[in-house]
Amino acid sequence: MHLTPVDYVILILYFAFVIGIGWRLRKSVTSAGEFLTAGHHVPVWITSLAFLAANLGAQEVVGMAASGAKYGIMTSHFYWVGAVPAMLFIGVFMMPFYYGSKARSVPEYLKMRFDEKTRGLNAITFAVMTLFSSGISMYALAKMFNLVLGWDFNSSVLLSGAIVLAYTYLGGLTSAIYNEVLQFFLIVLGFSPLAILSVMHAGGWEGMRQRLPDVMTHAWRYVGHADQNPMGVEAFGLIVGLGFVLSFGYWCTDFLVVQRAMAADSMSAARRTPLLAAFPKMIMPFIVILPGVAALALTKMGSGYSLPPKGSGYDYDQALTTLMAQFYPSGMLGVGLTALMASFMSGMAGNVTAFNTVFTYDIYQGYIRPNASDRHYLTVGRITTVVGILLSIATAYLAAQFNDIMDFLQLVFGFVNAPLFATFLLGMFWKRATGHGAFIGLLSGTGAAALTHGLTEAEGKGAWITSLHTFPSQMAQNFWIAIFAWSACFLITVAVSLATAPHPDSRLRGLVYGLTELPADEGVSWYRRPVPLAIVVAVALVFLNLIFL
Amino acid sequence: MLDLRLPSGIFFAITGLILVATGFTEPRAAMTTANVDLYTGLVMIAFAAILLLLALRSRRA
Repeated sequence: MHLTPVDYVILILYFAFVIGIGWRLRKSVTSAGEFLTAGHHVPVWITSLAFLAANLGAQEVVGMAASGAKYGIMTSHFYWVGAVPAMLFIGVFMMPFYYGSKARSVPEYLKMRFDEKTRGLNAITFAVMTLFSSGISMYALAKMFNLVLGWDFNSSVLLSGAIVLAYTYLGGLTSAIYNEVLQFFLIVLGFSPLAILSVMHAGGWEGMRQRLPDVMTHAWRYVGHADQNPMGVEAFGLIVGLGFVLSFGYWCTDFLVVQRAMAADSMSAARRTPLLAAFPKMIMPFIVILPGVAALALTKMGSGYSLPPKGSGYDYDQALTTLMAQFYPSGMLGVGLTALMASFMSGMAGNVTAFNTVFTYDIYQGYIRPNASDRHYLTVGRITTVVGILLSIATAYLAAQFNDIMDFLQLVFGFVNAPLFATFLLGMFWKRATGHGAFIGLLSGTGAAALTHGLTEAEGKGAWITSLHTFPSQMAQNFWIAIFAWSACFLITVAVSLATAPHPDSRLRGLVYGLTELPADEGVSWYRRPVPLAIVVAVALVFLNLIFL
Repeated sequence: MLDLRLPSGIFFAITGLILVATGFTEPRAAMTTANVDLYTGLVMIAFAAILLLLALRSRRA
């Protein structure tokens, strides 16, 4: 791919704007609360788009196009079965407890609801995981730019790290959120033309349907049995494992996204944040997945475009960048690359701003120095931001050196994350759940996940104890690991809670269903109320699934 | 507090203008004859205009 000066001008212009936004916001950062939690005055349209964009990293954009080419339109399940229902759930049911508790972070909610050890477990695992995922995506991006543009690995890592540092250090969470929104606009404007051009060139949706095997253009028809579809998953694992356990676990408990909703200016706005985000989220498959499907169709029809070969198949990860090289002239090429760079940087900023909040409030204030002045915590927050970015960079180099360690860590993170939603579900809707129950439940869930991985195998992975079962694909294995982890956590939490002393009601006010005054929203127009909004999204969701049945 | 619509509007206005200008030199991509720069540039300018208009209106109010 060859860049011309105009492409670099656009890239540099974007860098100037993100740092400029940080610079303009620097004066509003007067307290630790402003820096770490944006002081609860971000307008709802901004929190909604940031809620979406914080998750929309470069890895996701590149990865979704790759999955589109590999698995076809079934990839939309990650959006229409995975993300969106979970976003409706957190908005309608969970946000009243998060926002109402006045907790500054998700681990802090766990402390209020359960106890110190449950919070400590969540805070420490979250902090470590955030840093590693930031470093891993940094590595992936620098590697991609090296492959596609011949950019130096070190320069890519250091430059992107420096820019993220500049604007998060200056403007804190507000700055990160504002830039996430700018990035979201850029992704939509930068990649929609690619989706339109590639799909048109492949003969439109009808043309693609004729050229591709049926299984690539139907989301649901072939999920009856794992043998029938390229993902190797069956409906139950898909709906329960992905749709319920994994996506609810991510969208409803991961502080990275929840933090965006908590920054909203009122309870009502916090609840509407994920619901409004669900509208663009539903549309994203058309922008990020369809080009991948089109890439495969173009390859099959001998149009002059072909996915780059790899082994006996294709190198799907290059679907997006090779399409850009074919369809974008200089100018748009700059916009597309800027969008990739932007999505990567805001993904990293998202990780860093979540990390510094959890570290400052839940680890530093929680265990190291509890009663210091606000000024002190602001300084700690700022230092943590710098340290967080330095550690991410270190992780990126670690990933470059030891690929196996990173695969192993991602596996372990999966074990830690899988049971989380059971803890939150019980914590918010069953007042009898206790701290001991939650803590032991979480550990059991993680243990169950590791055990499932040790006893089953898929594509040659897992079964380090013995192989009792073979899954048709790693994806199916992941879904089932999640199902077992969630069930173990749920059952053990219930059992241990019943055997331990209940928390008194007085301690649980505002934290649990039944002891919390639910926000009334009568007298507000319907489109400002969570439940009607959620119903509109749900209807649209059913409709989308039917179209691509 | 900074109104985000202002900087985003300015950013897309400038980027849109750069794209339209590039579009007039008619750069070509390998697989399409469409003037992608020109059309995307125009869409960006329209989007920027909406953002700026909304920002100015709420400023005046």
